[in-house]
Amino acid sequence: MTDNVHDKARELIVLGESLSPAQQDWLRSHLQGCEPCRQYAEATSEVVGALHSVSIVADSRLVRATQMRVRFHAARMRETQERLWVVGMACLAVGLSAALTAPLLWRLSAWMGAWAGVSSPIWQTGFILFFFAPTLVVGVLLLARDTHSMNNGEQSQQ
Amino acid sequence: MNAAACCFVNAMQSEASAIAYGLRRRDPDLLDQLIEQYQHRLLRYLVYLSGNRDLAEDLFQETWIRVLERGNQYDGKHEFSTWLYAVARNLTIDYLRRKRTVSLDGLMEDEEHAPVEPTDTRPAAWEIVAQHERAERISAALTTIPAECREVVVLRFQEGLRLEEIASVTQAPPGTVKSRLYRAMNTLMSQLKGKA
Repeated sequence: MTDNVHDKARELIVLGESLSPAQQDWLRSHLQGCEPCRQYAEATSEVVGALHSVSIVADSRLVRATQMRVRFHAARMRETQERLWVVGMACLAVGLSAALTAPLLWRLSAWMGAWAGVSSPIWQTGFILFFFAPTLVVGVLLLARDTHSMNNGEQSQQ
Repeated sequence: MNAAACCFVNAMQSEASAIAYGLRRRDPDLLDQLIEQYQHRLLRYLVYLSGNRDLAEDLFQETWIRVLERGNQYDGKHEFSTWLYAVARNLTIDYLRRKRTVSLDGLMEDEEHAPVEPTDTRPAAWEIVAQHERAERISAALTTIPAECREVVVLRFQEGLRLEEIASVTQAPPGTVKSRLYRAMNTLMSQLKGKA
């Protein structure tokens, strides 16, 4: 019998339950005639037994804290998702209404420019200001609100 | 026999599918139940993987947060525990890379290992002492083997995972898992013999 046979037997011993029926039969017959491998099998089962004797248990406080944290995080994720959905829908509505009303407003501006007798660059500038003014105002207000809340946060931390 | 095995496999698959469905919906009740169900197994794995009880408890919480965030990635075709261990493993490796820039083995060299508390309900005092000693010896021996070998031993003999499942968790070929297991067992045996 070569060392390879013993090595193979020892590898199979370590694999334990993962063996095929043919491997189990081969191992059983090998162990019947090989004392060192039998001792190796006993030592392996001792190690496995010792591993089973070790028990690490989770503290109930850890479990409760984890559950609370997960619930809180889930609620925040849901809120963020809902907010993103609202923002997305608002963007879509604004984009659609802008696309639909832009040609109409352009014609209206052109008519008003002609009626008032002003040159094209002037009424076109007026149109651009009128069209983008709401976006600019909302952007400025949002920035101001964020800055204000950041300042408030810093003051409350101090 | 085959019918029973078939029923068992079907039940497992339907359970995994139910978990996958619940995770996609981020169902908090399901997550509560999963945390309860896998509390000891996951913590044990993390304690052995990180070598530190406090760190393992932090990683335990982070693992469930990640399960919540990435629950839609679980396909429900495989065992949930295998996916959970893979999530915990990746998180641990990320954490150790970020915080310490050393390997898992490096952590073991300078970290004070938390004592492993054996739980024993047997009444005989000598049996309790013997089991306690045995648990301490094996815990000490486990800390001396490389992290990748220790992980394989824990997954195989404490968590009862099959070789293919361990390969899936550790993202290593089954042949590598086998050789790690063989090497680890040989080291553990010699360690235990030396201390006996």
